[in-house]
Amino acid sequence: MFIDIDCTQEKKYNQNTYGDCFMSKRYPEKGELIAVLSDGLGSGIKANILASMTATMLIKFVEAGRSIKRTCEVIMNALPVCKVRKISYSTFSMAQCNEDGDVKIIEEGNPQFVYISDGKVVEPEFTVIDSETFKNRHMHVYKLKLKLGDRLVFCSDGVTQSGLGNPELKLGLRRSGLIKCLLEKINENPDISSSELSKNIVRIAKNTEVDRQAKDDISCCVIHYRHPRKALIFTGPPYHMEKDRHYALEFQQAEGKKAICGGTTANLISRELNIPVLCDITGSVGKLPAVSKMEGIDLVTEGILTLTRTVEYLENGFKEKEKNAASELMDFLLNSDCIEFMVGAKLNQAHYDPNLPIEIEIRKNIIKKMAKILEDKYIKKVIVRYI
Amino acid sequence: MSKIQVKICMGTTCFVMGAAHLQELVEILPEKYPDKVEVSGVTCLELCSDASKYTNAPYVKVNDDVIADATIEKVLKHIERLLENGQE
Ligand code: FES
Repeated sequence: MFIDIDCTQEKKYNQNTYGDCFMSKRYPEKGELIAVLSDGLGSGIKANILASMTATMLIKFVEAGRSIKRTCEVIMNALPVCKVRKISYSTFSMAQCNEDGDVKIIEEGNPQFVYISDGKVVEPEFTVIDSETFKNRHMHVYKLKLKLGDRLVFCSDGVTQSGLGNPELKLGLRRSGLIKCLLEKINENPDISSSELSKNIVRIAKNTEVDRQAKDDISCCVIHYRHPRKALIFTGPPYHMEKDRHYALEFQQAEGKKAICGGTTANLISRELNIPVLCDITGSVGKLPAVSKMEGIDLVTEGILTLTRTVEYLENGFKEKEKNAASELMDFLLNSDCIEFMVGAKLNQAHYDPNLPIEIEIRKNIIKKMAKILEDKYIKKVIVRYI
Repeated sequence: MSKIQVKICMGTTCFVMGAAHLQELVEILPEKYPDKVEVSGVTCLELCSDASKYTNAPYVKVNDDVIADATIEKVLKHIERLLENGQE
């Protein structure tokens, strides 16, 4: 199963930074993922530092090989108490999930997560561990076995307490309100992505606030077990021309969505599979050649220039007004979970001619860079094959 | 009467060597010669990979003739010549 995870956050009104911190990391070799949502005391930069510190420590501890239970215990016992308010510096939830559906969750002070299976809320059992150093402080430990389609939703108290003081919702949205919204959304669209669902919840929380101004930092993180959405990208002609046909067929028969990046590559596939390439030049936007069309292939773009620009967008975000080939490629990538690149190793001599007005990077390097960003920043599963 | 086929290469080499400007032909040609020419973009014509002449990108193909170092003027001239020679 694939674990689709995303988190959406909203800053407290009038603050310029988030007081909640979300971190997650995938370990593809182990088929595992850990995620932390931490809520720092107060708001603004101070809360941000407290929450980031807590989250970073938790992740580093687990990475060093400790069990998540032990890790959380150490942190729970160590987190100092604010002198003025007599409450702890930060609260947290931590989850460790693997692709088989085994999930361990530990909560300390955050609102209880919501577990949704088959369109219903499940209230799982937990054990309580008390802190040795602080009375009143304890953590909840859960061990779950999730199946395809199940979801876990974690929120900061900014969500459950949104709307506090609103004449209709005297006690705020509360967990019951959150559950109602979640079930409604999932009912409407059972396949809703984690990013969409978390965005929706944050929007609802903000809208329930008086004057639509967030009184606290609002964060919502969703974990969803589902089939992976696969994508295959063919870029560059194979090193051995005799293999062209072999790879073209493999590309055609693969499941999932497909893209071709490169004119020569498109020509080659067109020739081997007998599918015409329809090129549209009116649509060349933003100094990039326009996308072409080929039947049965979801996206066909020019190669190096588009790939280079896509890396830029993935790194710094897409800020232009008009969509172009690179932004389409970016959307294509971000809407997939498992991305495989078939990278042809043949060099196009013409690209390394010193007379060219710009420097063209080697395809292999661009793809390497792109794969790293997709893995690190967008938590995708990426496979690169040189052919 | 068959239309004159103008194919502008939109491959990487041609694009960085100036094919981006040739896109204007899409507007100019149908206006100038209504019903006589058809413009389209194509992926790499695979002329650039020929080491002996790849510095001559961008390429445009007008019917079967290759125009190297293509500019809007060059393409227009070529079309004119074809039309004069009674290509119609
Ligand atoms: S890019 Fe135009 S011929 Fe190769």
